[in-house]
Amino acid sequence: MLALTRRQGERIVINNNIVLTVVEIRGDHVRLGIEAPREISIYRGELYDSIEAENRKAAVTIPKEDMEERLKQWKK
Amino acid sequence: MLIQSTKFGEIYVEEERIVFFPWGIPGFRNEHQFAIVPMTDDSPFSYLQSVENADLSFLLIEPFTVFKDYQFELDDEIAGEVGLSGENPPCIYNIVTVADKLENMTANLLAPLIINWASKEGFQLVLENVKYTTKHRVFPNDSGCEELGQSADESTTLTEGGR
Repeated sequence: MLALTRRQGERIVINNNIVLTVVEIRGDHVRLGIEAPREISIYRGELYDSIEAENRKAAVTIPKEDMEERLKQWKK
Repeated sequence: MLIQSTKFGEIYVEEERIVFFPWGIPGFRNEHQFAIVPMTDDSPFSYLQSVENADLSFLLIEPFTVFKDYQFELDDEIAGEVGLSGENPPCIYNIVTVADKLENMTANLLAPLIINWASKEGFQLVLENVKYTTKHRVFPNDSGCEELGQSADESTTLTEGGR
């Protein structure tokens, strides 16, 4: 991982089209501004982690045959 | 197209049921092609089966039959990335997790799958600043399985067998 030291108001430019700005530092909170093209998805890490974890769990919990037979009886 | 599936064995899936996920889905970034196969013709449930990875399948639900007031905003520019518009609205599915027993299955309303059936493209949208979570009960309580059209007795028996 590349680690850079920045002061408040300083920026990091990534790939010519993403700009991170350190907007504010207060105590142990850092406020970051992010400018990026719309197709770049940006998530708080813990939110993304929760989706990843739920997807991994869902992938190994598909219903067994007896459960499936019951689900099949449910119509829209 | 013939697809190898650990769950279903070798299955034939019509090309029109195969959707390209340009960004994969969280946790499975390198999986780009999935077949969406309805459980039955009129079921709200479908399976999402990876074309490339036989071991990878998910249970999906079309949310609006169960979560009648489910709604979220889809940013125009994000929608445009996969060719969606007012004239070509998306199909929405949510991934279901079956924990211990069927009655406790939950749907991930925080991260719906957005499918463009015209271009056969899809992605999983992660909603922000919404009241939804990754775990919404599909059946409101333990007796909810009556909605499946079975008597409570049968359900109990099947549940025990399924553990």
